[in-house]
Amino acid sequence: MKNNSSQSYNSEENNSKKESAFSTLDSRFNQTLRNVQGLLKGRSIPGKVLLSRSDPLDQSNIQEHSPNYERSFSYNDAETSDRMSKDLEEEVQNPNKPSNNANSNGLNSSTSNIENTSKEAQKSTMGARATDSARIIKFTKVLSGTTVILEKLRELAWSGIPPYMRPDVWRLLLGYAPPNSDRRGGVLKRKRLEYLDCVSQYYDIPDTERSDDEINMLRQIAVDCPRTVPDVSFFQQAQVQKSLERILYTWAIRHPASGYVQGINDLVTPFLVVFLSEYLEGSVDSWSISDLSPDKISIIEADCYWCLSKLLDGMQDHYTFAQPGIQRLVFKLKEVVRRIDGLTNNQWRMREPRQKAPIPNRYLHTWRSKG
Amino acid sequence: MAYRADDDYDYLFKVVLIGDSGVGKSNLLSRFTRNEFSLESKSTIGVEFATRSIHVDEKIVKAQIWDTAGQERYRAITSAYYRGAVGALLVYDVTRHVTFENVERWLKELRDHTDSNIVIMLVGNKADLRHLRAVSVEDAKAFAERENTFFMETSALESMNVENAFTEVLTQIYHVVSRKALEVGDDPAALPKGQTINVGNKDDVSAVKKAGCCSA
Repeated sequence: MKNNSSQSYNSEENNSKKESAFSTLDSRFNQTLRNVQGLLKGRSIPGKVLLSRSDPLDQSNIQEHSPNYERSFSYNDAETSDRMSKDLEEEVQNPNKPSNNANSNGLNSSTSNIENTSKEAQKSTMGARATDSARIIKFTKVLSGTTVILEKLRELAWSGIPPYMRPDVWRLLLGYAPPNSDRRGGVLKRKRLEYLDCVSQYYDIPDTERSDDEINMLRQIAVDCPRTVPDVSFFQQAQVQKSLERILYTWAIRHPASGYVQGINDLVTPFLVVFLSEYLEGSVDSWSISDLSPDKISIIEADCYWCLSKLLDGMQDHYTFAQPGIQRLVFKLKEVVRRIDGLTNNQWRMREPRQKAPIPNRYLHTWRSKG
Repeated sequence: MAYRADDDYDYLFKVVLIGDSGVGKSNLLSRFTRNEFSLESKSTIGVEFATRSIHVDEKIVKAQIWDTAGQERYRAITSAYYRGAVGALLVYDVTRHVTFENVERWLKELRDHTDSNIVIMLVGNKADLRHLRAVSVEDAKAFAERENTFFMETSALESMNVENAFTEVLTQIYHVVSRKALEVGDDPAALPKGQTINVGNKDDVSAVKKAGCCSA
């Protein structure tokens, strides 16, 4: 019970012989595969041990949670995440006790907050709120440093970011906003101006100054903007579509190796929603872009543009000619499926007939654009 | 009327839908296979596909229709999907002349990647938008005659000619295949063997059959 992750690791040793044949693939990939194999064999996923349960004073909690721990030995990813959230709750309920968790070390410095949270958490009987309060404290702590330790922030963000902190966290984690708080305001201001410059230089020009390719690209973007998140009325507002068009076109011009490729439009929308949420309240359905001044809109657009750029920097070859990045993913996925197939008596069935590759490209495209 | 099992068919024909982005390929497909139309459809990323069976000459012909992304960048990937296609609907938008101008390029690509016996139909979609028409029926007809393809105007929105267009293509493919069969000999069992046009074999059938769980 103290360390249930070891269960899974032990079982994986059995697989190590099989693994050696595939040493060419990177270790992370193998780790992921082991996780999946563990899952398929009815083991729990190792996951991340967020809190060690070595504290002898913690009896009440162990009692309380023990049925859950037992269940978590059986396989079920829902239960695994359930277990992880219990870990967090446990942390909230006993925030003052010594803990091996590096993330909570910083908590000791702001005791008053912790005590409030602790009471709150006990009142709310292990609801999701309790988890949030502890997480919010951790996020606040990490974000308020003169230099944000991105590694810590990334680790925290792994299990979710409180919605109102998302804009700041995303800007930081994508490497758009600098971790150093003294520089942050200045850099963002400069970047936002730079975006405006790009727009006036590339987008706000007559078609006569564009090449044929550029006209075609703009046409393609104009065809796709109305088809972006078509089921959410907010995205059908003319001004929102114009913003989307400006972001996509400006990005496309500045990245000639790929240019605009269908599907990139879907990558902008999460940024739009997150950065708009800094200025508009309530749900997306109730938003109206006309409530925002042009200044604010251009700030939001600039943030979307830069975050999109940062995001795509890491996967640009998914969009260049012949899409080698996608091909690489197809290969990796094929490998995963092949190995899992061996464990499950070929449970995997293809939907498409007559495809030589077990995983048709289309799935990857679709997964990617929905992911 | 007696229904046969869903997977019970005599012929499986692969048909591709091609043409510029936004001409309505996906809506033609959903209209034909599910009788659905959406003004709020998303752009197709990569390739999608759907099937429907129809009767031709008392035979059940199952159409497996591949809907491809219209954008140039996806050509490198979608060209692989032409393999084995025995029919194609080359779609343009009657309200956007540029999509008709590009038909020639599409046709070349199609012919570069498929068998010469492929049945091609030029389809002018969005014919319901009469006041916005930018391509005349005469121009399109002339082009189709010159290029030796079939031609039809459709409206996926009004469900006009969609059924006809697909049925015509499938019937023509059926005729090509049966003619080939006659040329080869009278033994129907020998039908798929040595044919330039591959109508699929039983292995393909099982692949389609077992997939149902997540068909779109």
